[in-house]
Parts: sequence; C-alpha cells; structure tokens
Amino acid sequence: MPEKNSTSISEKTIKLNELVEWFDSDDFELEEALDKFAEAEKLASEIEADLLAMKNSITVVKKKFNEAE
Amino acid sequence: MEKNVPRLTVSDFIALTNQTLEYAYPGVEVEGEVASFKVNQEKYVFFDIKDASGSVNCFMTVWQLRVPIENGMKVIITATPKLTQWGKFSLTVRAIRPSGEGSLKKSFELLREKLDKEGLFAVERKRALPGLPHHVAVISSVQAAGYADFVKILDDRWGGLQIDVASVQVQGAGAPDQMIQALKYFNSQESLPEVIVIIRGGGSADDLSAFNDELLVREIAASRIPTLVGVGHEVDVSLADMVADVRAATPSNAAQILVPDRSEVIRAVRRQVQSLLPRTEQAIDNKILGVRAQLSDVIVAIDRRHTRQQDQLDALRRVLAELDPRKVLTRGYALVRGQIAPGNIIEIEKSDIVITAEVQHARKK
Repeated sequence: MPEKNSTSISEKTIKLNELVEWFDSDDFELEEALDKFAEAEKLASEIEADLLAMKNSITVVKKKFNEAE
Repeated sequence: MEKNVPRLTVSDFIALTNQTLEYAYPGVEVEGEVASFKVNQEKYVFFDIKDASGSVNCFMTVWQLRVPIENGMKVIITATPKLTQWGKFSLTVRAIRPSGEGSLKKSFELLREKLDKEGLFAVERKRALPGLPHHVAVISSVQAAGYADFVKILDDRWGGLQIDVASVQVQGAGAPDQMIQALKYFNSQESLPEVIVIIRGGGSADDLSAFNDELLVREIAASRIPTLVGVGHEVDVSLADMVADVRAATPSNAAQILVPDRSEVIRAVRRQVQSLLPRTEQAIDNKILGVRAQLSDVIVAIDRRHTRQQDQLDALRRVLAELDPRKVLTRGYALVRGQIAPGNIIEIEKSDIVITAEVQHARKK
C-alpha cells in the first residue's frame, strides 16, 4: 500500500530526527552514542531502501468526460 | 406545375431547407471578422461574421459565449446554418473562439481584466498545496507529451502516490467543457484528492486558448481542492495558470513542485547521519581530555603526598642522625661498657678508639 509505505518512511524520518537531536542534547552519553549511531545508520539505510522501492499507482478514470452531464 | 418539382408550403419549404442544410452541414467552422456585435436582453447575442467579400448573420445565447468578443476581432465559429421562419439566413453558433494572435491576445486581455476585477487572481485566494500528497488528481490528455513528461518526472522524484487521471481533450472546442466536467468529477468524490493538477504541453496560442475559457477559469477558482496548473512552456501564461492556487511553468515543473526529489531526500538523510560521526568523535576527544586531566590531577596529588612524606622522612632521619651515639662520640664523649666496680675490666669507646681499662675507684656524684 503506497500510503502505508510513505507513513512508514515518515515515522522512520521522525525517529531519525529524534536520534540526531539526542546527539545535540544534554542527554548525550558517550556510552550510548555508539548504539544510537548504529541505530541512525540502520534507519537511514531503511529510509533509502523504502524511498527507492516506492512506486506510483496511476489509475485512468473510466468516466468519459466528452459526454454531456 | 413542372413535372417532379415539389410544391411546398412556406413552412414546409423552410423546414426542408433546414433539413437539407443540417444534412449538408451538421456542423461547420467559419472563420471571419466580427461586426455589428450586440447582446439583447442579456440573453441573446447577434453579430455578423464577414470577410472581404461576404457577410453572414450569426446568433447565439450569452451562456455559449465563453470568451470576450468585440467588433473587428477575428474568430472561428462552430455553427449550424439555419433559415429562420422569416426567411432570414443565419448561423446558429454553438461555440466561438478568437483566431489569430491579435484576437487571442485581445480576448485574453479583456477576460483577464474582467476576472481580475472580480478578484479571482487575488493572492489572498491562493491556497498552499499539501507538503507531501498521497492522493493526486490529474486532468490532462494521456496521449499528450506534457502528460508523459509529468509522469516521468513524478516517477523519478517520488513514489507511493495514488494518481487518478481524467483523460480529456486539452485543445479544441470541446476541451474546456471536458476539463470542467473532470474538475466537477474530482470535487464530488467521496474521497477527495489532496490536489488537482491540470497539465498540457506546449502549443500554439490557438492550441492553448482552451485554458483561457471563462467557465473553465471560474471552475478552477471554485474548486474545493487546491489546484496546480502547468500549461505550455515557461513563456506561456494562461488565465487557468493565473487563477490556480499554484502555477507551474511546464508540466515537468508541476511534478517538481508537487513532490520532493527522493535523491535529494536520500542525500539529506545520509548527511544527517554523517554529521553524527564528528559529534561522537568530538565527544570521545573531550572524554579523553577529561580523563587525562583527571589522571594528571591524581599524579600531582600523589607527587605532592610523596614529597610531603619524603620531607617527613628526611626530618626523622635528621633527628635520628642527631641521636646516633657515634655522632655524640665525635663531640668528645666516650661510651663505657661493663660493670663499674673497682677491679672490674671495662671497655671505653671513643669516636676513633676503643680502650680496655680497669676500674680503680668509683664514687657517687
């Protein structure tokens, strides 16, 4: 489903942004940073794969618009 | 009466003539210049269409007049020839459109001015398009090059869209009505698209004149769904462009406006992650510097403590050295070992000599 895929990308993007913000925040802990960095890398790879896999679905409406209403 | 020549009543003759004309010309396009243009009772339009050597009366209703017309304007009419009951020949006009650059431009300017006064092009009316739409409606001809360009760019840039396409004529007399019907269709759907895109590739001014149709322009303005219009090339401006919520220079540009470029998004995501590495490295460097500083403090503390203890030790050594009996001997004193009693043998130690002696006498002081 296209919408589900897009939503999933959107959720992953939000998660990635949260991770990036954590690196700039006062919560930053070096001990956690490597795990968080690995998580960010994984999310980025998934977002890239999802984006490349997304296809558009085109439907030509059957109604004939040259007929009088 | 001539043999085989029909005799008709006047009404029958008129009806037969009209039947013959309708058979011969079910529809005809006539190009000429407008003269004696007038509108009666705000309902009926009368004018003549003429060229250098002829002139024909024309009749139409106001609601069929989709573009402003003036005397002297060159037009193409789509009409049916008719003999009226008063024996007057005229063309019943179904559609009229300006012909030639000058007339097209004049008609465009007249309608632009009229609609502008009504506020249809006002900036305040413009709505923003959805940031990232999921459901997009497209009004175009699926055969047109402009549509193919739009789909190609859209597919290159983004995916996951549900695109409903109303394939309509995008030029010619029927084009405006078809696009109007398509707009009404999308605006009446239960699940409304988030944006309607109207596109057409380049063409002559006449080809693009469908996008200057008054009713089409009003229908775009009335759309509940935000509109994006990309017609012709960059230099072409139509009234449909002007009334749209967002104008695209071309169909390809419409695709660019509609969705982000996934390559750009991927690059941005990669940059985001790469930016974390220097931050982490910086944090590690800071941590190392912190540990080194702490270590340095510890070393200084240990050193200080060591020095203090060394000093104490030295002081004790000095005290001990002072207490060393041998040092006392050097000052001339002697150490006597043995029982002090007359006749006993004792040992007397000086700093440089040990003497063995006999006690001759001992008395208390």
